[in-house]
Amino acid sequence: MKKLFILAMLMLMSVGCVVAEESAAVPAGGATVAASDTQNAPAGQNKEFIVYTDKNARGSHFFPSGWIGDFGDLKLNDQYANNPHSGTTCIQFVYSAKKSQNQGWAGCYWQNPANNWGSKKGGFDLTGMNKLTFWARGEKGGELIKKFSVGGIKGVYPDSLSVEMGPVELTDSWKEYSINLAGKDVSYVNGAFCGVTTSDLNSQGCTFYLDDIKFEFDPSLKEEGPKKESMPFYVFSDSSSANNHFFPSGWMGDYGDLKLEQSSKEDPYLGDTCIKITYNGKAAQGARWAGMYWQDPPNNWATIDKGYDLSAASKLTFWARGAKGGERIEEFKVGGLMGEYSDSDTATIGPVILNKDWTQYTIDLKGKDMTKIIGGFAWATNIDVNPEGATLYLDEIKYE
Amino acid sequence: MAGVLCAGIAVFLLFLWMSVQPRPAVYIRKLKNNRYKLMTGNRPYVVKGVCYNPIPVGSSHDYDWWSDPYKPWLVDGKLMKDMGINTVRIYQSGENPEQVKKVLKDLFNLFGIRVVMGNWLGFWEYPCPFYGDKDFQQRVKSEVLEMVKTYKDEPGILLWILGNENNYSCQGNINPWSTDEIDAEPDLQKQRFMRFQIYYSFINEVAQEIHKIDPNHPVALGNGELIGLDVANQYCRDVDLVACVIYRGKTFGNMFRSLRATFDKPLLISEFGADSFNAELLKEDQNMQAFFLEAQWRQIYENLSDNPGEEGNCIGGIIFEWTDEWWKHNSYDPESWKIHDTESNWSNGSYYFDIKANGNKNMNEEWFGIVAVNPAEKEGGLDKRIPRKAYYVLREFWKNPAAYLKKNSNNSRKKESAN
Repeated sequence: MKKLFILAMLMLMSVGCVVAEESAAVPAGGATVAASDTQNAPAGQNKEFIVYTDKNARGSHFFPSGWIGDFGDLKLNDQYANNPHSGTTCIQFVYSAKKSQNQGWAGCYWQNPANNWGSKKGGFDLTGMNKLTFWARGEKGGELIKKFSVGGIKGVYPDSLSVEMGPVELTDSWKEYSINLAGKDVSYVNGAFCGVTTSDLNSQGCTFYLDDIKFEFDPSLKEEGPKKESMPFYVFSDSSSANNHFFPSGWMGDYGDLKLEQSSKEDPYLGDTCIKITYNGKAAQGARWAGMYWQDPPNNWATIDKGYDLSAASKLTFWARGAKGGERIEEFKVGGLMGEYSDSDTATIGPVILNKDWTQYTIDLKGKDMTKIIGGFAWATNIDVNPEGATLYLDEIKYE
Repeated sequence: MAGVLCAGIAVFLLFLWMSVQPRPAVYIRKLKNNRYKLMTGNRPYVVKGVCYNPIPVGSSHDYDWWSDPYKPWLVDGKLMKDMGINTVRIYQSGENPEQVKKVLKDLFNLFGIRVVMGNWLGFWEYPCPFYGDKDFQQRVKSEVLEMVKTYKDEPGILLWILGNENNYSCQGNINPWSTDEIDAEPDLQKQRFMRFQIYYSFINEVAQEIHKIDPNHPVALGNGELIGLDVANQYCRDVDLVACVIYRGKTFGNMFRSLRATFDKPLLISEFGADSFNAELLKEDQNMQAFFLEAQWRQIYENLSDNPGEEGNCIGGIIFEWTDEWWKHNSYDPESWKIHDTESNWSNGSYYFDIKANGNKNMNEEWFGIVAVNPAEKEGGLDKRIPRKAYYVLREFWKNPAAYLKKNSNNSRKKESAN
């Protein structure tokens, strides 16, 4: 699988190289946005810096080259001519939700130069810009985009910011969206724009359109303070719910022993689906234990300064059951990820012997510092207490 | 009128009585704003400590360094004093009281260094510590009280620590134990609570007994992280402070506030630090160790009673550890005690510079010393002491902590090349 990914990336890189050569006039190497970049716009007024307006528009500065997740599930047409928001073309994305790379999600970054994952100093100094705006619509309306973001690419030359918004439910007509960058450090932007969606949110796939993506300056825009999430705040409600947060990406210990189904229809507690986890207890990695973290963003082992402010929460509740009853889970947990950007606190319950019937459990968060939580939920068990393995079901995991 | 006069005389006599009462040699003062300050001889005392276990290269944990003919504490005490260290933590006293007293006297009289004396509370006994067994409790308590009686009049004693990370046994993480009553309880979370209740009640009983025979030194509850302290809050009220083992990388996070909310006692961070071996690059990285230690000490000072912005419940810290111990990677193989092993045994993402090491195992147990040792070169019969960068960084820190607290607390650090 990894080889396939590398092959695909190499192909994309080769395409990107051609594009880059054709766009030799594009400023690279951390060029500062000047009035000359925004044609006919006096400095300080109506400034804009274009990511995409039309195919082959002279002002475009980034390339939709950074495919992430199930990149095989996404098809891009950046010269779609039917019903653009403005000009003659817009961008069409067709997402198949086939999980080509077994990720369950897919997305695309606009980068400069193409395929720049932070290895080249190709980003722009966008000082003076304080928002990114774009227009979007869905083919039918109701398409769910997990997030749109600006920045976040790491590497030797990392983006100076990482800001995101979402989830977003698209309408069947064009609508403008905005990402507030006021107060953010926009001095180096390589990953100008990114959209990500998931197979859970769009199990049958979806088609959506983007147009007129650009950085702008809005003198009336104010810096957003830390966003305190309102309650209830779901980790998992239903597989297709736009209210879900965190990703079950942190597989631990004998991760080869685990199988995760996020759309199990086997007697969900509420709604259409629940989470089913099968642990076969074969010690595939020799650890003799296994577990799983729900993280934000995926695979964030406290290496990325993200997470949610859940300080309004006084507890986390969830429903769980075992396939047979008697399965032992050593620990259910929130927070506790330790790294450069550690979770602000942690709380656990356990051990827990699961019942065959759905049972609600509560992790008490009173007195906890929940201002930054990357690891939204976790569980762990081991062979010694489940020698035959275990199958557990989870549903309605939420902060309250 | 006569009544008023009598009351006035009574108040005066009470005041007089209070003023002539001798204060304990070491005590914790609770300030009006609920902050805590450790006092020795009526002077504030910030614990600037190191864990001390000077095992020579080629020997193991059972080496009796107290009777080492080369007296390592004399060389180490001098280096410590030069650095600014005022306290050493010893996990358990040696078997010969006279030798122990000699070391305590030398450290205090020659270098002004006080000793935090601990006791394992039978934690490493085979097959496990039976904290639910009355006979076991009685035996351990007798040992502890004997230790206190023996050393309580030594002027270098600072305080007592009961246990280290023994609370982990209540959750079954290490050295698990149980009782018939606990085993009969079907609810596993209640089982856990019952073990904590038994363990902390026992500690409380020992602390009460110590106070009876030694009113001059505080008694600390040794604890791994803050785990179980919500139960200690109910059953272990008579300890004077908690002494926590914390390995959280560059920050202690919300620990100070969390302790305030769960078990409002003064806090001594009795074991913390960082190793100096980069398990990803497979070479020594003194910068990495110095970076973490400086960040950790900055937080300790920010949470002392004098700093108005934070919790004010910390009384100091004890770095793990003074010198490297070369036996630790494999305590069963005497040949390996002569080798400075670079293989890591465990993983901790908080020490993130080398977390991408093979299997994410980045913690090198034999490289925690802030002073390296070189067995190929002897000085006074001892493995040569070679202070690492952290030694010098902290020496400067302690000369003027306020200057460091003013520095940007962002803790950003460009990766410097290994030494």
